[in-house]
Amino acid sequence: MHRRTFSRKTLGIPYAIFLLLFVAMPLLVLVYYAFTNGQGEFTVMNLVGFFTNPNTLGTLFYSFGVAIVTTVVCLLLAYPTAYILAISKWKSKTVILLLFVMPMWINFSLRITALKEILTFIEGNLAYHPFLNTVIGMTYDFLPFMILPIYTTISRLDGSLLEAARDLGAGEMQAFLRVTLPLSVPGIISGVSMVFLPAMTNYVVLDMLYNSTYIMGSLIGSYFSAYNWHGGSMIALVLLAIICLFTLLGGGQEDENARGGSLL
Amino acid sequence: MMAGMKSGIKSSIIFGLILSLGLTLSGGMQVKAADDKKADKKATNEKTVTLRISNWEEYLDEGDWDEEDTIDLESGDIIGENSMVEDFEDWYYETYGIHVKVEYSTYGTNEDLYNMLTLGDTYDLICPSEYMIMKLMKEGRLEPLSDHFFDTSDPENYYINGVSPYIKSVYDNSKVDGESWSKYAAGYMWGLTGIVYNPEEVTREEASSWKILDDPKYKSQITIKDNVRDSYFAALGALKSDLLTSDAFKNDPNYHDNLEKEMNDASPETIAEVQEYLQDVKKNAFSFESDSGKADMITGKVVANLQWSGDGVYTLDQADEDDFPLEFAVPEEATNIYFDGWVMLKSGVHDDAAKQQAAEAFINFTSRPDNVIRNMNYVGYTSVIAGGNDPRIFEYADWCYGAEDDETDVTPYDLSYFFSGEGTEGEYVIHAPTDQVDRQLFAQYPDQDAISRSSIMLNFDDTQNQEINQMWISVRCYDVRDIPILVWGLAGTGVLLLAGLMIRKKVRQRGNL
Repeated sequence: MHRRTFSRKTLGIPYAIFLLLFVAMPLLVLVYYAFTNGQGEFTVMNLVGFFTNPNTLGTLFYSFGVAIVTTVVCLLLAYPTAYILAISKWKSKTVILLLFVMPMWINFSLRITALKEILTFIEGNLAYHPFLNTVIGMTYDFLPFMILPIYTTISRLDGSLLEAARDLGAGEMQAFLRVTLPLSVPGIISGVSMVFLPAMTNYVVLDMLYNSTYIMGSLIGSYFSAYNWHGGSMIALVLLAIICLFTLLGGGQEDENARGGSLL
Repeated sequence: MMAGMKSGIKSSIIFGLILSLGLTLSGGMQVKAADDKKADKKATNEKTVTLRISNWEEYLDEGDWDEEDTIDLESGDIIGENSMVEDFEDWYYETYGIHVKVEYSTYGTNEDLYNMLTLGDTYDLICPSEYMIMKLMKEGRLEPLSDHFFDTSDPENYYINGVSPYIKSVYDNSKVDGESWSKYAAGYMWGLTGIVYNPEEVTREEASSWKILDDPKYKSQITIKDNVRDSYFAALGALKSDLLTSDAFKNDPNYHDNLEKEMNDASPETIAEVQEYLQDVKKNAFSFESDSGKADMITGKVVANLQWSGDGVYTLDQADEDDFPLEFAVPEEATNIYFDGWVMLKSGVHDDAAKQQAAEAFINFTSRPDNVIRNMNYVGYTSVIAGGNDPRIFEYADWCYGAEDDETDVTPYDLSYFFSGEGTEGEYVIHAPTDQVDRQLFAQYPDQDAISRSSIMLNFDDTQNQEINQMWISVRCYDVRDIPILVWGLAGTGVLLLAGLMIRKKVRQRGNL
């Protein structure tokens, strides 16, 4: 008789089914809609449309603009914070870190509503600075995602590397630039990807802060409410391709650094 | 192993993207099965009819009122104890001896509903707006209402016995492919589009024209609906303002037909003009909003707000609680009259007489005057039901807006057009405090004058729809041609810098090896 064997592989079956049902299948549906027209015939017009329509290109540009500025601002705020927290010897540093992370535990729309009131108090009328408000809102929302990975990477750094650098005559600044910074790149990369990608599509922040210009997320939504599933799917697909490209680039970087680390 | 993990991470990113797409799609579609309270009722062998109803969010009384919310009319008190759905299930069993189980769900926009139907969701009874009803009629997806539904001799037929003669005539006279709406649809709530404004900042005259939307005097102080149809209508009103308000146009014997034609103008030239106008409006407005306008109006962030009359009532009520009086105006050019109505879907009730009967009974139950009042009180919108011989709905309007006995500044407000019909007696005039004529009373029951300049916005055909939607997207999107040269320069430098860095790194690594 054939005995059923229970191996560790069996545990992976639910995961495989999950992937199939919720990753592969929707993706196939997306591809199907992106490359068909209303009559169900194959077409590449949606793809051509994406790159010839000034609206999609403009929105892509605008989304990139929002995402890049948000990411840069987040990085500029998060790196020094994470660095200081990671190298400090304070006993209470976990508490301080907690203070940065805590907003994540509060409901997102509540946070943005509160921010809206604060910004209104400062600016008077939010409609005058839609872009600025969007960046402030996104930064407020995504900052913890940037701080945490950088903090983790820096606090895990081998202190002996820094000692070695000092022994070999490197100054405080030089040690930071040549040792700490390059070794914290993996943390920066994962922080950037966690901030950049959502910032391109998170239209709720724009809506709530009265920015009437579409970003990618709202553009896709508008195609669907205009019953144009095909155009909308194509935009989602192109966005997916762009994001994959970024992940590949980021992944490549990570590999190099991992190698660099082991070489050291 | 590493590679496996990495592809796992990638997949999860892809998964997240799909998930967010899915969320966009479902757009707040939430299923809220009615309470299972009845489940513990004695299990009988009788067949239970399942009725799947989908309605707008917050559009049906959910009960649980406080004692102090009781509406004490002359004809008796009205209070919502249980949700309307539960009450219906009980009532249906008591009246017809059949158990019915309602699966109640809600949607956020007509388009969400339509997309859900396209995806294969089945409902028996839904409550879309008039243009969506027209679209569904055109596509042959609706089941006609039965003859019994229109039988005035059945006392349980609250809809046909209570519907306002004005609304009935609209439903009878509006046609799709030669068939009138009434064949398929029974009204639920209705209203007009107008402007909620703060009388301390804006004059009534200014708020009575769509042109206020791009008035630079109110730069960044007015909100507009984030929805193509309402914005399109408002833009048409502003662009054609001179024509629409001219005496020649108003006194034309075919005024109403002409008005409807002008307000449904979807020629390419008009769409282009509207686009230009809305682009101005976008620069001038505070925001395009789908829900935040009410709160922004109440907190004084904006001074005027394009609003549906039902939400107008709500806004004014809320502002009153803060002693912040707001007013409601209907533009002189034209106003969009909208009707949300119950329709039965063929995919749900076809060939199922039991379901059809339950669905029609649900329409009748929500049209029973006490339930109408409960819903109006809960939702804030105006029901299409006038009550027929039952005086309670008019009493309710009077209870809400009529002047107290000791009030001196009182204006008579005639609502005969809505309430009076065959077989009803008496006159329908509310003696209201004079300010109410510009406020809640006017938003809840617009006067005959406002009604006379109302136009239905029909369902556009597919090509027009596409063009108008594309126009709307163009208004909302950042135009790639607007990118300043400086940004192009910066972006170019950035890319070059990045590429340079990467090449340098690669070259170095080669060197190391």
